This record gives sequence, structure tokens and C-alpha cells, in this order.
Amino acid sequence: MSAPTVAAATAATAPRPPERAPAGRRSGRGVPRAKRVGWILLFLLPSALPLLAFTIGPMLGAAWISLHEWNLLSPMRWVGLANFADQLGDPATRNAFGNTLAYIVGYMPLVYVGGLALALALNARLKGRSLLRGIYFLPVVSSWIVVALVWRWLLNPSVGVVNWALGLIGIDGPGWWTDPAWAMPSIILASAWKDLGFVMVILLAGLQAIPTDVIEAARVDGAGWWRRLRSIVLPLLSPSTFFVVVITLINGFQVFDQVYAMTGGGPDGSTETVVLRVHALAFRYGEAGGAAALSWLLFAVILVVTVIQVRGQRRWVTYA
Amino acid sequence: MNSRSPIMVLAASAAVLALASCSSGGTGDDAGGSQDVTLTYTNFISNNGNEENLDAIVAAFEDENPGVTVDVTTMAYADYFTALQTDLAAGTVSDVFDIEYGQYGAYQANGVLAEVTLDDPAAFDPTLLETYQTGGTQYAIPTSFSNVVLFYNTTLFDAAGVEYPTADWTWAQEKTAAEALTDQAAGVFGDYQPISYYEFYKALEQNGESFLGDDGKAAFDTPGGIEAIEWLAGKSGTVMPTPEQGAGTPDFDSGLFADGKLAMFHSGIWMFGTFADMTDEWDIVVEPGNTQQASAMFSNAVAVSATSEHPAEATAFAEFLAGSDVTAQLRLESGWELPPTSDETVVADYLALGAPANRQAVFDSLENVALTPDLGERAAEVQDVVDALLTEVAAGRVSAADAAAQMAEQVDAILG
Amino acid sequence: MRERLLTPRSIALHAVVVLGALVMLFPFVWAVVTSISPGSGLSATPQLFPDDPSIAAYQQLFADLPFGRVVLNSLGLAVAATVAQVVTSAMAAYGFSRLPFRGSGAVFALYLVTMMIPFQVLIVPLFVEMKALGLIDTYLGALLPSVASGFGVFLLRQAVNQVPRELDEAATIDGAGHLRIFTQVVLPNIRPAVATLVVFGFMSSWNAFLWPLIILRSPELHTLPVALQTLQGQYTTQWDVVMAGSVVSILPMLALYVFAQKYVVQGVASSGLK
Repeated sequence: MSAPTVAAATAATAPRPPERAPAGRRSGRGVPRAKRVGWILLFLLPSALPLLAFTIGPMLGAAWISLHEWNLLSPMRWVGLANFADQLGDPATRNAFGNTLAYIVGYMPLVYVGGLALALALNARLKGRSLLRGIYFLPVVSSWIVVALVWRWLLNPSVGVVNWALGLIGIDGPGWWTDPAWAMPSIILASAWKDLGFVMVILLAGLQAIPTDVIEAARVDGAGWWRRLRSIVLPLLSPSTFFVVVITLINGFQVFDQVYAMTGGGPDGSTETVVLRVHALAFRYGEAGGAAALSWLLFAVILVVTVIQVRGQRRWVTYA
Repeated sequence: MNSRSPIMVLAASAAVLALASCSSGGTGDDAGGSQDVTLTYTNFISNNGNEENLDAIVAAFEDENPGVTVDVTTMAYADYFTALQTDLAAGTVSDVFDIEYGQYGAYQANGVLAEVTLDDPAAFDPTLLETYQTGGTQYAIPTSFSNVVLFYNTTLFDAAGVEYPTADWTWAQEKTAAEALTDQAAGVFGDYQPISYYEFYKALEQNGESFLGDDGKAAFDTPGGIEAIEWLAGKSGTVMPTPEQGAGTPDFDSGLFADGKLAMFHSGIWMFGTFADMTDEWDIVVEPGNTQQASAMFSNAVAVSATSEHPAEATAFAEFLAGSDVTAQLRLESGWELPPTSDETVVADYLALGAPANRQAVFDSLENVALTPDLGERAAEVQDVVDALLTEVAAGRVSAADAAAQMAEQVDAILG
Repeated sequence: MRERLLTPRSIALHAVVVLGALVMLFPFVWAVVTSISPGSGLSATPQLFPDDPSIAAYQQLFADLPFGRVVLNSLGLAVAATVAQVVTSAMAAYGFSRLPFRGSGAVFALYLVTMMIPFQVLIVPLFVEMKALGLIDTYLGALLPSVASGFGVFLLRQAVNQVPRELDEAATIDGAGHLRIFTQVVLPNIRPAVATLVVFGFMSSWNAFLWPLIILRSPELHTLPVALQTLQGQYTTQWDVVMAGSVVSILPMLALYVFAQKYVVQGVASSGLK
């Protein structure tokens, strides 16, 4: 389970066959190998070096810590894989992964369908379109401190607007964040609401890269709105969609801020997610080794899920 | 363009980068004089309002100790301990830094704190000083203390015709008064006590029980312990607002009291300033007990790092910061937290400061202190377990008896 | 086409979108209202019309914090990080898309991997590293971890993959090398994605809290989020001032977004893609 797996996958699904011969041979136009390697280094090193030094390096540092018992105060003590065994055997770990998964299952469809609808609507000819886009982007730039307080009020079981509105149509609203069964749905709602603008921005950029003449041609051919969406817009948008799905999944597995601000993991541990637990282990419970081990377990899960997506992209992602 | 070699471009960019890092890396250490000492002090106690008072204390210390300079870094309380732990892990901790009683045990046990020898131990309140001793050795110096008392709104008590609470009240009397004072239609609540670990260990003491037994195991799964859980969790939804009504929202409770919508409030004396300007009249009294009185006391302290290169100067500064007359005077004048002094005149000045009238309750509460249980390094985990289960009882999802049993089992598992 | 604005469908669309915008606007309005309600705590039920509005919280914000300095620090770090991220990401995106090599998939995977671990566990190793480099309490120490981003490379790679290779080939025939194709063919055609990265890169640096808090200790180096946090005390918080700070910190990002998205539209309109 390592990088080469993804490597094989990304390579296998490269958008189109390289137009130049692979390194090591001379291409038809006679680019020497050394020069080509030089170009590759020139384009990649400015990002590769800082990422290696300031992310991959510390990740390996965390891996080292995960093999030790360490409270950050006394010297580290080597314990091998004991931290991993402890975390895997801890019911709190199972609970945290279950909650995180529940979050993703609820959040992903909401935020994607909502973001797409918004991008399509705000890509259409609308009066005050720029202003509207700005407003829909507001929640993305707002801090979770503010947003969490507001959503706690909106979803207040007794005085909140949401249950008041539900009452109007004869529904007795649930206890939302005060009820263990409804606390995670509350966080999902608030998160989807806040991140709609993020998905919208990415998809809008993708939509604007679609040549309008292609769509016009289809319109002239008599294709209806739904048909144009399904057979032209969505396929041409698929690279952006792929990006959104991969990124929101990676971020979804690491959901933290909103839980920390809205429920702190409660009630009754019903919203404790993996990173919330990592945070508690590292900075509250003095178990830096356990925190690092749990992080690497989470990493393994995210990696597998991402590999599956990258492998599956050839079925539905089309590049120009 | 086409002919430019990528290697040349690379080399050029590397040169630029190298230049950039050279020019920006030029911040070296100050080359101080041979006997001059610069101490570093990281604190949270002065954040949010007392920065200038701390500057004055530091200036007074520097005047008395020529050649010693103190570099102060002030951080918000919420982030202080994250930063401190990172510093301890990386070996970049300041010579002198703030700690809380809650962390003292863990830091001391891990050898993070240097021994401090006080010049004048008699200047400090002996109980407070003992809090930061292990095996008879002093490892930190208290800088301030606070305790929890019962705040009450005399205007609301008068309007409802209820007798003011007195120091010999019991839970039953508090409950009766709270019920009489609650008027949910008018948005007025009778009582507010946070549903948390810090209230729980105190409530246990008030009922003649204790959190841990002599064997170091959970000792609260008893009829008295269950009664304490019911006392804490039972107010919510009857005389106290529920989470839906706002309980648990930051600063909601103090806002409610300041607005004159809360008759009794279990809170700390740090709230005096917040309530100074409220319209209604208010006072304080020692918290009611059930079978006996017990009050919570919290303190902040300052410690010298075990890795400090100037332990003597650092200790001198820590003692000055905690116990000098300059500090005591500044703290009193500015309404900063109480100094840990044994000086009767300072105490007398404090009592004469004005509202609340019954300031004596602050000191009376110290006569029966419910000490924070010594949970060692796993304290935070125990707190989280207790908080979560108390909340479940308050929400009516778990009975007090079941909660006591589950809590005891989980606490023993953590400490075991 | 102009008359299309008045079809029933278009009116319905306007109505829905505007209604949604009001829902989106609400928390911001609430933050503004709280910020002009002096001395008010947070209540469970917000009051939309403050009894006694006042801008005292904003005055206090400017009085309590070295505000100019703090904003300049934040702005400087955010601009530097954004510029660096756009440059390094665009170059890497070009490299991955136009200069594939054996193992480039593995290298790209490593870029994605950098996003997959919670930052909380990287803090201590990263801090130890910065100590070794002598970069604690320096701008450079705060900046370096954000000069490159896996997110940025991925975002721009998707965009570069969408640029038709026929354009490269045409330029090659004109004698252009990689540098010219990159700057004159590819970059103009990925402007919407670059503008998106500018917004998100700026946003993540402007909002960054944990790392600046840990690495920047001197008050004169503090960034806006770190300085705002000092308004919260051990026991109480001045919520009106906190909300004022939150409103002030939102505005630059919003302005940047509005500016960037106008630029996106122009960029597409003027590029060869129509």
C-alpha cells in the first residue's frame, strides 16, 4: 500500500498518450535526454522541494513518533507497533471512523449536487450575477466560530427557525445537535451550506472553460436543457467534477473545525470524528504517539479511497 | 528562447533562491554584554486587559535587578497550552512560563519544572504555596487564585419575596428558592450551575463523598454520589436553562446574570468586573453544601524551566512576579485576579474595595476547599468522560444511577 | 437573446437564487449586528435590530490590537504565499501534463499524499525542523510550508490537461520552447483555474491560525487571526469585538473573490477559446 499503486493508476489513466517519447529515448524531434530531464526538474522542483521539506518530511517525522510512547514532555520511548494495536483495539477509534464515514456519506451528495446547481444557475444570464456569486461565496470565507454559532441557533430544537418552518408544514422537528441521533446530520447540513460556494467556484471555472459554440451547436440541433446538461456540459465538466470529488473526500475524512466549533464531539460522542480524536490525543491526553498512529491509519484509508477514484476516473472523466 | 538551456534557468533560479534565503536569514541572536542576562517569560495571565500591568511589574523588576532584561510573550489562554507543549517537545520553552494547577502534576512528574527556592516564603499564603510542592520541594509559585461562590441577584430575590441565601444554606434550601424564583414566562431562571467535572468533584465533597477513594479508584458510585449527580443534572430544564435554551453557549450564563434574568449563579470571583455595571443589585455568598461545605479553588502559577540557563535570575523574577508588593498593589488597583499573599493589609484593602458587599465570602470559602482530585497525566481524559455522562443525565437519556456506574467503570479503565 | 430575461423560467430562477442568497447572507448580517451591539454577550436567539447600535467594538479593535501592523503581516504573508503557490503549482501542472516521464504518476501521487494527513500531527515535527533551520519567530518560517501546495498542483493540472495540445503544437512549429509554451500558450488558457487558486491560496493563508500561532511569537509578527484570538480571555470573551474582527477579516477575501471572478470572465472572453 504505497505511492506506486497510485502511480500505476495515474499513469494508466493519463489523459492521453504522451505526445513525446518517454525519457530515455530520443523523440522524433531529437530532444536529448539530459535536456528533457533538465526541463522536468525545472518545472517540478520549485514545488517538489518545499513539499518534501515541509510536508513529506514532517509526515515521516510523525511516522517515527507513531512508533513511540511520547507525552511531548519526557523523552520518547520505543514501543514498535503498539500504538497502532492500541488504536485499532480502542472502541473510540471505531466510533470515530464510523462518525467520519457517516459525515462523508451525508455531506458529499449534498455539497456536490447543491454546488453544481448553484454553478449552473450563476453561470446563466442573471441580473446582478457578480454580486450573487459574491454572496454565495460569503460562507466560504466566514470563520467557523461565527457559522457554528449561527447554525446552532438555526437548528435550535425549541426556538430555531428550521423547526419553526417544519412546524408550519406539520412536522415535529427533531432535537438536532442536542440529540445523538441528529447531531451529525446537523453538522452535515451546516458544512454543506458553508462549502457550497467552494464547489460552485471550482465548477464555475470549469464551466467557463467550456466553449460556448459547442453548446450553441447542440441547441441549434434541438437538444433540450436536460439533454445538453447530460451529454455536453457534464462530460466536459468531468475534470472539474473529478477534482471536486477527490478534494472534498480528502477534506471530508479530515473534518474537524465545524465539529470542534458546533458540538465538540458530543452529545455522547456521536460527532467525535477521527481528527477530533487525533487532536485530543495529541494536545489534551498527552499521547503524541497514539495521535500519530491514528493519523497514519486515517491516511491509509484516504489513500485507498483516492486510489480507487483515480483508477475509476477513466470510466467517466474526459479531458479535452 | 528555444535555445535557452533549462539547466541554466535552474541554476539562475537556485542562485536567486540562495540569495533570498541569505538576506532573510540574517536575524541572529543579540550579542549581549558578558554579564547581562536576558530572560524570556511566556504568559497568558496578562492577556486581554492586563498587558500594561505586567509591563509595569517587569519594569519594576528590571529596575531592582540591573543587568537583567525580561522578554515577555503574551498569548491567549485558549492557545497557550498548545504552544507550550510544542515548545516543551522541541526544547524551545521560555525560562519562565505560566502553568495552571491542572497541569502541575504532569509537568512536575516529567521533570519539566526546575526547583525554586523562595527568598521569602512567608509572603505567600501557605495553602497556596503547598499546592505547588511535591515531596516538600517547591516547583512553581502561585501568582493568583480564584474560587467559586454563589452569586445572587438581590433585586430578583426582593421581587419574589425570597430570603437571601446565607453561608449555612443547604442544597434543599437552594432548590426551594430556585423554584420560587424561576419564572420561565418572563425568561427568568432561578439557578445556574455548569454541568461539568469541576462542579462534580466539588458537589461530591459537599455531600460527604469523594471522587477518588484512598485506593485511587473511582469512589462515587454510591447513593451519595448518585445524589450529587442528580443535584447537578437535575437543575437543567426545571430551574436552569437547557442547552436548547442556550446553556453551554459561550458566555451565555454570565450574560443571563448580567441581564437580570438569573437569580443564582455558581461562578468564579473573576466575574466581579463583568457584573460591576449591571443594573440589578447583587451579592455573593459561600456555596451551599449538603452534608458539609466545600468550595472549589483554582490558581495560576509561574514556573522556571528545568532547561533554563539562568535559573537563579529566573527564580528571582518568578518570585517578584508572584509575590512582590508592586504586584499585589497593581492587582488590587486594577481588579486583576487576587494575589496569593499572606499579607493582612492587602486582604483588608481587598475587602474594602466595594461591590459585592460580602467580599468576606471569598476568604470564608477558602476554609473548606474541595481539592482537585490528583488524576495525574490522564486528567483530561477523565474530565471528558465525566462531562459527557453528566450531559447525558441532564438530557434525560441516562439515569443518574446508570451514569454513576458507567462513569466509575470508565474512569477506572483510564486510570488503571 | 436579451428578451430571454423575462421568461417565467428566468423569473423563477431569479427568485430562487435571490432567496438562497438571503439565506447565505444571514450569518454575515448576524456577525455585523453582534459587532455593533456593545457589551452584549451571545444569546441563544440573536436580535436582528440592536437596541443601541454602536461602532465601539471597531474602535476597540483598532485600539487593542496593533491593527495596521497585524493586517500588514497577514497581507504580506498571504500575498507571498499566493504568488509562490500559483507559480510553483502552474509550473508543476505544466510539467505533469506536458512532460510526462516514467514514474510521473508516482510523483504526482506524492503531491496528493501531502493533503492526506491531519496537520495537527505535523506541527511538532515541523516545528523541530524550523528550530534546526533557525526559522522560529521569522516570517520565512511562517511562509515556507505554504509556498507549494498539492491542492494547487492538482487544481491546475486538471486545467492544463484541458488545454488542447494542438495549441502547443502550433506554437512548437513557430519555434517556441517549453518556457514560451508555458507562459504564452498554457497560462492564458488556464486563467479561470489560476484565479480560483489565487482566491483559495490567499484564503488559506489569510485564515491560517495554528501554524502562525506556533511559529510567530513576537507580537510585532502576529497575523490577524492570531491577534484576534487574544481578544478571548481565560474566563470571558468580548463577543462584539470578536465579531467586529471577524467582519473585518472577511472583507479582503470577499473583495479578492469579486475581483478575481470578474477577471475570470474577461480572461475567457479574450483568450483563444471563446
